[in-house]
Amino acid sequence: MTSGGIDPKLINDCVHCGFCLPTCPTYTLWGEEMDSPRGRIHLMKQHVEGTPVTPEMAGHFDACLGCMACVTACPSGVRYDRLIEQTRAEVERVHVREPRERAVREIVFSLFPYPRRLRLLRPGMALAERMAPFLERVHPSLGAMAGLAPQVERRQRIPRLVRARGPRRAVVGMLTGCVQGEFFPQVNAATARVLALEGCDVVIPPGQGCCGALSVHSGREEQARRLARRTVRTFTKAGVDTVVVNAAGCGSSMKEYGQLLDAEPGFRVLDLSEYLVELGPVADRHPLPVTVAYHDACHLAHAQGIRAQPRELLTAIPGLDLREVPESAICCGSAGTYNIFQPEAARDLGDRKAKSVASTGAELLVSANPGCTMQIAAAMRRGGARIRVAHTAEVLDASLRGVSL
Amino acid sequence: MELDGLEKTGVTVRQAGPDDVVGGVRPGVVALPESVEEISAVLRACAGAGLAVVPVGGGTKLHWGHPPERCDVLLDLCCLNEVVEHAAGDLVVKTQAGVTMDALADALAEQGQELALDVPFAEGATVGGTLAAATAGPRAFRYGTARDLLIGITVVLPDGTVARSGGRVVKNVAGYDLGKLFTGSYGTLGVIAEATFRLHPLPADRRYVVTELVRQQVQEVAAMLAASQAEPSAVELDWPGGDAPITLVVLVEGSAAGQRAEALRGAMGAGTVTDEAPAWWGLIADDELLIELRFPPARTSEVLAAVRDTGLSLRGSPVAGRVWLQPTAEPPADFAGLVSGLRERLTPVGGRVTVLAAPYEGVDRWGPVSALPLMRRVKERFDPERRMSPGRFIGGI
Amino acid sequence: MVDKPLDELTAALRALLPADSVITDPVRLRTYECDGLTYHRATPGVVVLPETAEQIAGVVRACNDFGVPFVARGSGTGLSGGALPRQDGVLIVTSKMRRVLEIDLPNRRAVVEPGVTNLAITEAVRDQGYYYAPDPSSQQVCSIGGNVAENSGGAHCLKYGFTVNHIEACEIVTPDGDLVTLDRMDPGYDLLGAFIGSEGTLGIATKITVRLSRTPEAVTTVLAAFESIEQGGQAVSAIVGVGIVPAAIEMMDALAIEAAEAAVACSYPEGAGAVLIVELDGPEREVVRQFARLQQICSGAFELRTADDPAERAAIWKGRKSAFAAVGRISPAYIVQDGVVPRTSLPKVLAAIDRLSEEYGIRVANVFHAGDGNLHPLVLFDDAESGAGERAETVSGAILDLCIEHGGSITGEHGVGVDKAKYMPRMFSADDLDTMQLVRCAFDPKGLSNPGKVFPTPRLCGEVPGVRKGVHPLVASGQAEQF
Repeated sequence: MTSGGIDPKLINDCVHCGFCLPTCPTYTLWGEEMDSPRGRIHLMKQHVEGTPVTPEMAGHFDACLGCMACVTACPSGVRYDRLIEQTRAEVERVHVREPRERAVREIVFSLFPYPRRLRLLRPGMALAERMAPFLERVHPSLGAMAGLAPQVERRQRIPRLVRARGPRRAVVGMLTGCVQGEFFPQVNAATARVLALEGCDVVIPPGQGCCGALSVHSGREEQARRLARRTVRTFTKAGVDTVVVNAAGCGSSMKEYGQLLDAEPGFRVLDLSEYLVELGPVADRHPLPVTVAYHDACHLAHAQGIRAQPRELLTAIPGLDLREVPESAICCGSAGTYNIFQPEAARDLGDRKAKSVASTGAELLVSANPGCTMQIAAAMRRGGARIRVAHTAEVLDASLRGVSL
Repeated sequence: MELDGLEKTGVTVRQAGPDDVVGGVRPGVVALPESVEEISAVLRACAGAGLAVVPVGGGTKLHWGHPPERCDVLLDLCCLNEVVEHAAGDLVVKTQAGVTMDALADALAEQGQELALDVPFAEGATVGGTLAAATAGPRAFRYGTARDLLIGITVVLPDGTVARSGGRVVKNVAGYDLGKLFTGSYGTLGVIAEATFRLHPLPADRRYVVTELVRQQVQEVAAMLAASQAEPSAVELDWPGGDAPITLVVLVEGSAAGQRAEALRGAMGAGTVTDEAPAWWGLIADDELLIELRFPPARTSEVLAAVRDTGLSLRGSPVAGRVWLQPTAEPPADFAGLVSGLRERLTPVGGRVTVLAAPYEGVDRWGPVSALPLMRRVKERFDPERRMSPGRFIGGI
Repeated sequence: MVDKPLDELTAALRALLPADSVITDPVRLRTYECDGLTYHRATPGVVVLPETAEQIAGVVRACNDFGVPFVARGSGTGLSGGALPRQDGVLIVTSKMRRVLEIDLPNRRAVVEPGVTNLAITEAVRDQGYYYAPDPSSQQVCSIGGNVAENSGGAHCLKYGFTVNHIEACEIVTPDGDLVTLDRMDPGYDLLGAFIGSEGTLGIATKITVRLSRTPEAVTTVLAAFESIEQGGQAVSAIVGVGIVPAAIEMMDALAIEAAEAAVACSYPEGAGAVLIVELDGPEREVVRQFARLQQICSGAFELRTADDPAERAAIWKGRKSAFAAVGRISPAYIVQDGVVPRTSLPKVLAAIDRLSEEYGIRVANVFHAGDGNLHPLVLFDDAESGAGERAETVSGAILDLCIEHGGSITGEHGVGVDKAKYMPRMFSADDLDTMQLVRCAFDPKGLSNPGKVFPTPRLCGEVPGVRKGVHPLVASGQAEQF
């Protein structure tokens, strides 16, 4: 069968109502049916019915950010998330990309999911930034990759176990993640402190790798499964029944492990904000007089349906003024590796989002995904505006400890 | 004149008299059909004989528009005077075109309902004439004009074809809306025979807030009223022109009308609240000469300034952007110049100047309209022989 | 198949538009094969995505030169196949034209391009206390250009009217390719009124001036749960009977509630045979009084919920607004029907629909705008079951017959499109349809603008209507089909 793993039943759930169109970032940019979820499902249908994957078709699938805003918007419950994953895998299987494109994809996928390799890249980041214009000329994707490089904070070593402050209320595992762990170590430190201050023993198994999210989202199923199995093993060995994740993309993938591995892992996966709201607050909140624009990371808001909890946690901080970002459901263009493979679209979406964020007049941009904050801050810098960025965990950490941000 | 065919229809026909004159043109005969079928028969006969026809209802606006190029038969609809069906539970009425607006209002009021369409004449105006001339009154601000309340229509084309569009349900998008096309068509496309309207419950209560303003205050007060969440149904001006003060009256309808009117009076800072409409409310006093101005509401100041020294009085709505101008004493000497002067001042701010009635030749009554070529094409399709009120309407249609 | 005029036209279009705005790749073209009604499909010959009114005018002029038909499409959400493309024609998609050009609050209007979504207009002015009143269920998706073509309604048109009542002016491209402005303020024939709702057969709107309405001072939304549809229907009659004109009165039956529950977990009262959503809006004092009356009228309801803030209101509306697509959760396939009956005939018609449903063994979920008698029966079937589709079609058609029988209409808001053209002769006489054709011929003598929609019989514009003896020559020659 040429259609491989794309499930026609999932395709037939689509009634073509178009409710997904306005939530789709690429449709928002280009206004073309083929670059909307409805159009992509139509393309999948064409393929399932026998049309081979053409470069045009593959291009429209590649252009999908996988933000899953359409899944939230769909009244018919179409599992576009599953469909696009199956389709990406199918495209990887049957479609031969042109050599230059292939080479770039190889570089990225041999780098990102592996923390140690990423670490090797770190000293080069400053250099990369200077090299960006030259890399841009070689391939726009390489330029984009260099342009995104964040200012890396000093590496923080996180202990294997952080004990609860005060009476212990729970024991949880914590995922450190690859990008998060390497580029934003302070977020992991803050996460561990917040959990501990709220009465959790936090177990942080060493030697964690990538959870497989980046590979899943790019159709590299085998790599994804390998990484997922390793992650499951690590936390099973650690003996926790709850794993708290602070990176939206990782959380959403780990919640789908059952699907990916055909077996449920022996632990629950929860996003940090989800878990904290479930647990309920005990620690004192100190005032933080700051205006905050909260950005809904797609993999949190759409893939995990978590919108209320981070807002609830933020508004509970005395003095904090939370502002809603217009068009909050539209992706910022970061979308995992998207800003690397589709630099132009990512840039346009980033600019659009930057404008929306700027319109709130907030001083601080908060989100649960480092990719998003990198992307939006970069776009704002391009537009000549500056905004401080923080992860939800860092804001909570500052409030709980009574320090300024 | 070839009247044989007409007599064979069996429809009552009489010789026209001096009272039957249309814009100075005396018709040959007056036909008095009593049903839609009879209208059709008359029009078929006229088609056969190549006779020009002008339909008439109460005759209140026969002198409006250009005089017809010719008029062989005046088609008097006074005998189609039945309210066909008042479906009170559905808030819908179907009526023949010759029913007067007064009679219709009385019939509807028995069931506590109304057609929210104000008529600018104290008596006589019929449903058909009101539609054909598309007159609008004060409450158009809230309820829209005739075309917004009309949900179905029966028309008879110049060749006698009877056609219906719309229906007797408010919500209906099947087919083209001939009702819109015939509303305001001045009898140039065919004859309006029956109409179906959506109705409203008679308002529980009514209050008027009356105040006097100087010209420069009007726009600001009107804008405040239009944006008010107290939802006035109408805001009307009455102004003799020149340096006289302007009377502004606000109508509030519905539950708690008294309290809402008081709130508006408070917001205006002056005025009195009454439950009686002023005597002039929504009426045209003398329409030997009548100009209609339409304009974006935020340009009211420019409109008032332009009218100030014309020697015309003004009545109408600054919130709907539609007012009538009428002469206060002597008709102006250079009327054509006055009209073009108004156009020169108001066109740049998005205004339209239409001469509804004037006993003068050589006046551009309608001004330029982008869609005139399309309108001509519509006329050509409906009335290729130019026998329906020929020359009465815009561009000599 | 080589289509010479189309090939030559395509070359001409490339000269008019940016390269990526002319789509000819077959895989891409096919994604435009249908709008929200998937039952009818046709791959367009060419798709163009113009960005300006002048470009649309140029495309239409070129179509005219080559005698090629064209179809306009906005967001492609129509439910009557009004934007069904032509294989031998050009599909003009306005989805790149979505700029709000001007917001003029002092005159309570906004000027927008046709691809702007209905809801985007409201979003642009909401903070200033205004909104755009017509609210079709697809308002976050559907384009204002499409709304103008279809004269779209929505739940709140009971009080506020339809698209046609809220459009001040349209710049249109006529089927000859001329840019003409139709303005409510202009004297002359009300061509604007005739154009709105003409389903793309009289030209394409390229710039639209909409009227903005002031946000009401108070809005109260009530959800009343009844044991039966009859009880709900009685409440509707009573509301209208006492002279209340609510902003909206909506009703859903048990099956529709089940679907909405499955899709969006709207948590409507359990065990309800019908829910009624009544929205009152207007000046605070008026709403308070009307609400008191409403509570008395709905005393037969076993549960009454009231929403006073936007979040609660959204929760009540959520189930209703997603009802159509939600039916996908309880049935593999379904037909969304759209018909109108006089409000007082609702009980009789609903009972008759019940009988049809039983007779044919086809489930029918009812969602409707009860205030204006606009029914949206959802005819459910399993397309895997042989013969089920045909039975559903029969039931669906019979419902329209019921509407006509009771003095109603075959469409309240979805339009005739290609889907219902064949029903037009059941509602209108040949003379009625011929008279409508006169308008068509005035605007589009060549019949190139969205041909095949609205009207069942392609009468040529040169023909004299009224002389309709015998078989139409096109039918006789097999070039056309008479329904």
